Amino acid sequence: MDFTQSCPVNHRLAATREISTPGPALDRVSSPRPPGRVEKWRLTLGLIWITVAFLTAQRALALDDYQLGPDSTSQVGVPRGELSRHSFASSKIFPGTTRDYWIYVPQQYEATKPACLMVFQDGQTYAHSNGLFRAPTVFDNLIHKKEMPVAIGLFVNPGEVRPAESGQTARSNRSFEYDSLGDLYARFLTEEMLPEVAKKYNITSDPTGRAIAGISSGGICAWTVAWERPDAFRKVLSHVGSFTNIRGGHVYPALIRKTEKKPIRVFLQDGANDLDNLHGNWPLANQEMAAALKFMGYDYKFEFGDGGHNGIHGGALLPDSLRWLWRDYPN
Amino acid sequence: MIHNPTNEARNTSYCRVRAAARSLFVLFVSLVFALFQTSLTAQNLAGDMALSKVLIEGEDWQMVAEGFGFTDAACTDDEGNFYFMDLGKGTAIQKISTAGQVSAFLEGVPKCSGLKFGPDGRLYACTQGPTGNLAGTAKKQVVALEVPSGKLTVLADDVQPNDLVVSHKGYVYFTETGKGQVTIVDAQGHVRVGATGINAPNGITLSPDQGTLAVSEFRGAAVWVYRILADGSLDVGAPYMTLRVPVGKTDSGGDGSTTDSAGRYYVTSHLGIQMFDATGRLGGVMEKPSAKGCVSVAFAGAGHGYLYACASDRIYRRKLQAKGVLFFKAPPARP
Repeated sequence: MDFTQSCPVNHRLAATREISTPGPALDRVSSPRPPGRVEKWRLTLGLIWITVAFLTAQRALALDDYQLGPDSTSQVGVPRGELSRHSFASSKIFPGTTRDYWIYVPQQYEATKPACLMVFQDGQTYAHSNGLFRAPTVFDNLIHKKEMPVAIGLFVNPGEVRPAESGQTARSNRSFEYDSLGDLYARFLTEEMLPEVAKKYNITSDPTGRAIAGISSGGICAWTVAWERPDAFRKVLSHVGSFTNIRGGHVYPALIRKTEKKPIRVFLQDGANDLDNLHGNWPLANQEMAAALKFMGYDYKFEFGDGGHNGIHGGALLPDSLRWLWRDYPN
Repeated sequence: MIHNPTNEARNTSYCRVRAAARSLFVLFVSLVFALFQTSLTAQNLAGDMALSKVLIEGEDWQMVAEGFGFTDAACTDDEGNFYFMDLGKGTAIQKISTAGQVSAFLEGVPKCSGLKFGPDGRLYACTQGPTGNLAGTAKKQVVALEVPSGKLTVLADDVQPNDLVVSHKGYVYFTETGKGQVTIVDAQGHVRVGATGINAPNGITLSPDQGTLAVSEFRGAAVWVYRILADGSLDVGAPYMTLRVPVGKTDSGGDGSTTDSAGRYYVTSHLGIQMFDATGRLGGVMEKPSAKGCVSVAFAGAGHGYLYACASDRIYRRKLQAKGVLFFKAPPARP
């Protein structure tokens, strides 16, 4: 589930479209019709059309045909923020890890005014200009329309421990950082990453001005950070979040129901065709999260579509979800 | 055109064949489509290493030897023969051939709680004190035993070794459970500290590329991993895997551990043999061979495709869809 490397989704859509209109192609491969056997031919033709209809219906019914809207596309006359790439290799909380991160700074940023902050896990997935999310472009458009505040984007990749010798595999730290419960990753952000950003930029200390987002394991990670440190982050955006038992995260609905309500605003997205595997059932887990948040009276929104374990639906929803999360800031 | 029944029959059967072929083609396209979708779903599950993918239907634990006191120190050789020690009443390192024949391999040796072959062909061992004809002479040591003479060379004296693993470079990593420490010794007997602060370190194994060392906690619930540097030393440890713990306990009983060629770790514990994927996620807990527990495992047998288990008075084995790794050999170059 490494979204920074694999993005099979587009291939599937392409393939679906290709295969879902096979009628003419099949016509072309059919043989010259033997005389006087029209009925047989009709039967075959019928069979073909039934199949075509089935495949087309399957495509129409399913599966992630969510599209990016104009807010996810660069618009003429909208100032474009700056995206810069950095790397961080001096973590004491995750010793030995190295990682890339990106900082997005909107044109509207003024050093004298504390900016809001939004931190994205699997940063590359969200920051990529041709990806499923295109968060910097969405920020440009929404900030320009004053539909979200001036916010700095911090896009952080998971760490890896590089091997000592060539030919050896790096230790992926993604699951350890993202799926683990507890405050380790929250401390990594607040004690190590944010001070890096604060060296150059003026970031608000108001937790309602600080949001955190992620996909899959990055989704549960975002929730865990706010759950552990609502004094640091109070807005959460989770895409196909892994609230399952990869490393014990399935307990959150139960914890939420029996813990005094925390001042966290949450946007959850998932799809009916999300994963069902050894770690758990993603659609059920996200519904359980939503039910627990509802039961406790959290300020939450749950968008449950028909997609799978990918960022298609979440990407299409990103502008709306950001509008919802930031709707009344600074209140 | 002259009406010809034979022609019509031919045409009819021709048409049937074409129709059938066409239907088959459509079915084929649908199937390919379905399979394509499935395989992409599988890609989305990259790294999904469920225990069910390793277990084989109908292949349960099989008892291969019995009548011992307390078995431990599982290891294997190039051919897949299985070696272990009876810590309860034995004075010999036992061998079980791939054909299942049990014999005394090295006799008159100290009690060994950990055994592994090294790149020099010697058998490296954590000794637990005297047995048999060595009574009164042997201490807790890390030693190398020559094969077949049994000639013993002490590598580390005045240590409390529990289990060990030997890399292809000849570095011996052993757990000192009481000290909470992993200690390193090389073939020249140079001893140094590898890592500290582990809650009763017990089982110890390597990643297939020998770039990572994994150590199980007996009294805690972590399996720690460390990077192995070119000089054999360890750094940047992390409690990378979390063992499941019995309800009401804080100790997992993490014990003898091994690795398969896909990078999965197998860690014996109170609850069973816990399997983790290479990114540290629990893939499942395998049942113990018997209620008496299991403290040491190794892949051995034909093709190193069987997991052998030291389970108290007996040795069991179980065929898996997994293959072991021989750490005394240099890892294959990565493609």
